[in-house]
Amino acid sequence: MNMSIASTAVAGQANADLTSETRLKLYRLMYECRVLEKRAYDLFMQNLIKGTSHLSLGQEAVAAGFGAAMRKDDYTYCTYRGHNHTYVRGVKMSQILGELMGNTAGLMRGKGGSMHLTSVEHGAMGSYAIVGAHLCIANGAAWSAQYRGTEQVSVCFFGDGTTNIGAFHEALNFAVVWKLPVVFVCENNLYMEYTPIGDVTAVEHPAAGRAGAYGLEPVIIDGNDVDVVYETAQRAFDLARSGGGPTLVEAKTYRHHGHSRADPAKYRPDEEVQEWLKRDPLPMYRTPLLDLGVPDAEIEAIEATVNDMIDQATEEAKSAPPPDSSLAFTDVWADGGSAWRN
Amino acid sequence: MDVLMPQLGETVDEGTVGPWRKKEGDSVAADEVLLEVETDKVSMEIPAPKAGRLSQILVQSGETVSVGTVLAVIQGAGENATEPKSDDDKSAKPAAASEPRKSATVTLHPAALGVSGVSMPAATADGRKLSPAVRRLVAEHNLDVERINGTGRNGRIKLADVREVIAASGSAASPPATRSVVAPAPPADQAQSANSIPFNRVRKLTAEHMVASKATSPHVLQAVEVDFSGVERARKSLKESWKAQRGYSLTYLPFIAHSVCIALQEFPNANASVGNDELLLHSTVNLAIAVDLGTDGLVAPVVHGAEKMSLAQLADAFQDLATRARNNRLKADDLSGGTYTLSNSGSFGTLITAPIINQPQVAILSTDGVRKKPIVIEHPDGDTIAIRPVGILAQSFDHRAFDGAYSASFLKRVRTLLEQTNWFREV
Amino acid sequence: MAELTYREAVAAGIAQEMRRDDSVVLIGEDIADAGGVFKTTAGLLDEFGPSRVRDTPISEQAILGATMGAAMTGLRPVAEIMFSDFFAVCWDFVANEIAKARYMTDGQVSMPLVIKSGNGGGARLGAQHSQAVENWAMAIPGVKVVAPATPADVKGLMAAAIRDPDPVLFFESKSLYSAKGDVPDSEHLVDLGKASVLRSGTDVTICALAMTVPRTLKAAEILENEHGISATVIDLRSLVPLDTQTILTETKKTGRLVTVEENPRLCGWGAEISSIVAEELFWSLDGPVTRVTTPHVPLASADNLEDLQLPSPEKIVSAVRDLVD
Repeated sequence: MNMSIASTAVAGQANADLTSETRLKLYRLMYECRVLEKRAYDLFMQNLIKGTSHLSLGQEAVAAGFGAAMRKDDYTYCTYRGHNHTYVRGVKMSQILGELMGNTAGLMRGKGGSMHLTSVEHGAMGSYAIVGAHLCIANGAAWSAQYRGTEQVSVCFFGDGTTNIGAFHEALNFAVVWKLPVVFVCENNLYMEYTPIGDVTAVEHPAAGRAGAYGLEPVIIDGNDVDVVYETAQRAFDLARSGGGPTLVEAKTYRHHGHSRADPAKYRPDEEVQEWLKRDPLPMYRTPLLDLGVPDAEIEAIEATVNDMIDQATEEAKSAPPPDSSLAFTDVWADGGSAWRN
Repeated sequence: MDVLMPQLGETVDEGTVGPWRKKEGDSVAADEVLLEVETDKVSMEIPAPKAGRLSQILVQSGETVSVGTVLAVIQGAGENATEPKSDDDKSAKPAAASEPRKSATVTLHPAALGVSGVSMPAATADGRKLSPAVRRLVAEHNLDVERINGTGRNGRIKLADVREVIAASGSAASPPATRSVVAPAPPADQAQSANSIPFNRVRKLTAEHMVASKATSPHVLQAVEVDFSGVERARKSLKESWKAQRGYSLTYLPFIAHSVCIALQEFPNANASVGNDELLLHSTVNLAIAVDLGTDGLVAPVVHGAEKMSLAQLADAFQDLATRARNNRLKADDLSGGTYTLSNSGSFGTLITAPIINQPQVAILSTDGVRKKPIVIEHPDGDTIAIRPVGILAQSFDHRAFDGAYSASFLKRVRTLLEQTNWFREV
Repeated sequence: MAELTYREAVAAGIAQEMRRDDSVVLIGEDIADAGGVFKTTAGLLDEFGPSRVRDTPISEQAILGATMGAAMTGLRPVAEIMFSDFFAVCWDFVANEIAKARYMTDGQVSMPLVIKSGNGGGARLGAQHSQAVENWAMAIPGVKVVAPATPADVKGLMAAAIRDPDPVLFFESKSLYSAKGDVPDSEHLVDLGKASVLRSGTDVTICALAMTVPRTLKAAEILENEHGISATVIDLRSLVPLDTQTILTETKKTGRLVTVEENPRLCGWGAEISSIVAEELFWSLDGPVTRVTTPHVPLASADNLEDLQLPSPEKIVSAVRDLVD
């Protein structure tokens, strides 16, 4: 049982001790995530991004809060909805946009695409597109950290739909039994793809409602309140680093767009959407910042800087050449090639 | 259909068009020679892939083009001159003019065979199917399948049956490096005279080479008799383990080659070529080994840098070359750069052979049969007669390059090495 | 040199690598205290301790996920999937995750891991615990596939698989676990992707793998002694990488090829080899490439039925005689 994590989080009250520097950092991270995803959306519309893409517009507080609390050498495992989670580890915007556009500016020069953003040098150990698998894989990184005694934490983000797949349950049991330094973060945005999660789940809280089965404290937080997310992350990380084992966090949030590019999200009631738009994590955080005495001009300056950043990143990504055709055949094996026979 | 610049070896990617034997507008029979192509390694004749009219020559004599370039276009009977180039599959139908057989025929992909335009039956006249390997061998040796006795189920002709026929007729596979210059089988309607055996391309090349060598170099023959007792002792005691480890037998040849390599380093004028009033010494010993491939001719693949090799490495290299020669796997590079040649007739038990120099080299050594003979052993206490394995090594040398004393000293050195080396240590 | 069983050789290979490299760790169901249900990991817990030899729940997805996560963060894990049939419950990890990570990330991620598993029939265990599934694995770009036939190869290939920087699926033949053979005591490595020519003949070339190797050798003896047919026998040892050069060279010598595989007929590994040989050696073949396989049915449990299904020396002899006549 870990009462310290649950008590703060459930109360939904931010720690008043956060410095305004931290708060501005959190705001800026969220703002960067927001413009990055918006730009990705615009580039779809211009047909510069092919395939599919799953945006996190509206869910920025989770990625930003956890990202800001992570140590540089911690590990992130995220899903196909992972642009923000990858970005907050320190990856350049152009590397993400380039990957979405399938060109050489991209993190993987077009070999992975939107659903598989990875930057090992930043601890972003991959975005996984088969629901549930990466919880088990995040365990492996946590086990490795435990074995090597490095006090690194493995942080695994996933959606509410994941809680109904077997790998989720195998991973939680395994992590608890092995007391692994892993933090599982369920972003409950109320819909598994197009279906309300409540329609297909046996318990009210898809993640927290299962925690007890694995001897874990149910932790439910307001995933749109970045202070709450940040503090919850810190507490969960402290626990993991001190050998206390895993934490399962359920962060309630909402996506402003559909599941993916192809989804206009017409299945959601208007009132619900309007309700959640009022709880948009950015304005929800900006106003208290002003109340705390941060000058409007300072916030606007940050926003202007980030707006320039995204324009520059877009230009950089757009102007990068497509991958050389030889890349189709590289890096199947450690020798760099793809030969299966002599 | 197109006539393409063929690939003349793995390391070769272009070729130079030599003389055209046909002019634009000439009619050609299938397999009739169209032109010659040269590389720095070989020269070969390109036969017409099918009968028709040589409608277009696209690359002129003297031009060098990459492999695969279209050299000419042959327009088949009934084809429109402006018709788009047909693909290989279409042209696989045998041309009427060269249709010698009753049974169905197919054309092999030339790349699979190294020969162009060979057609062969897919079954015997009575419908017994022929395996790909049988069809290929039958084509390569121009055999009549109807005359081959099939020992398989229901009379199927097995690969072994064809091999038997070939062995009985002494018709070995044509040598690989010159495979591409093998003249195509003459059309069936040009009946061969019972009393003449037309030269094939290899035979012709061999003939030309031999005449040229004799005309160029004043040949002198010198021979020494060598007592192979020491070699034989080592060979006998190692025989079985050698065979078990390496899968082939240890012969006299690597011993002789090893000794020759050592001697050549001491007598560098024998490892040389005659230039313009000068003798060009070669820095390495590239040992050519004449391999007889039956009546069709001779190849002399080369072991490069032989002087740096141990006896075992030489043996392996010979085995490799001989195997590849038999399997038609020699590359153009295997046939070039020789600086001294060994000609080995020993297995036939010959007494002495006067070999012809492999130009532009200046000497060639023939190794003949080793037989047990009574020889006189001189000893201060009195001479005795002993039975020893003895054989003759005969060298033809180019008298322009050096004189008899030099050659004799070289031969003496080879003999001493063979008789006195502790071969157990060398092997 | 010591005489070891095939099962002991598994532990010997793992132990050799655990001694030289602290990053090598072993996990699986019942592999620590119990020494493995097939006793292939006996003694490893005692020698290397519980942090390096660790039991897991019955959670094949969790096992392979942990193995992957550890491999991408600096360890060289070995995981046991008890029966290869169980790959079906964690195939996502093999096919979608482990095999593709390096490629999708443009080479950022390394995957030095080994998944060992008891494979194949002959133990009367019925259809869900007897399958030979190495052909499933070779269908996926990005995993190497090894299946040894002798104790010496088990040790050498296991060690090589652990050192290999790429993911290796190591199929242990259940029916060979008790087979004995000489195994070098000293450090022993067998290169991945090198077939072994066990016997040279002139009439036919036979490719075998794992449990079909001893059966094929037996068949070759019968062919020689009773039918005057001389066979070359190749132990492939590894399907990926595949030593096609040895297959082609040896097939060319005899002009005939028979493959003997434990996979059910459709898309077994013999099919791939047939296709390669047909494409690249067509004009040297003196007969059709012939496959001996398990028929395309689930395996039965009863002795006589399972024996009827698996490739036997008799079936191999008969296939070869049909081909050579």
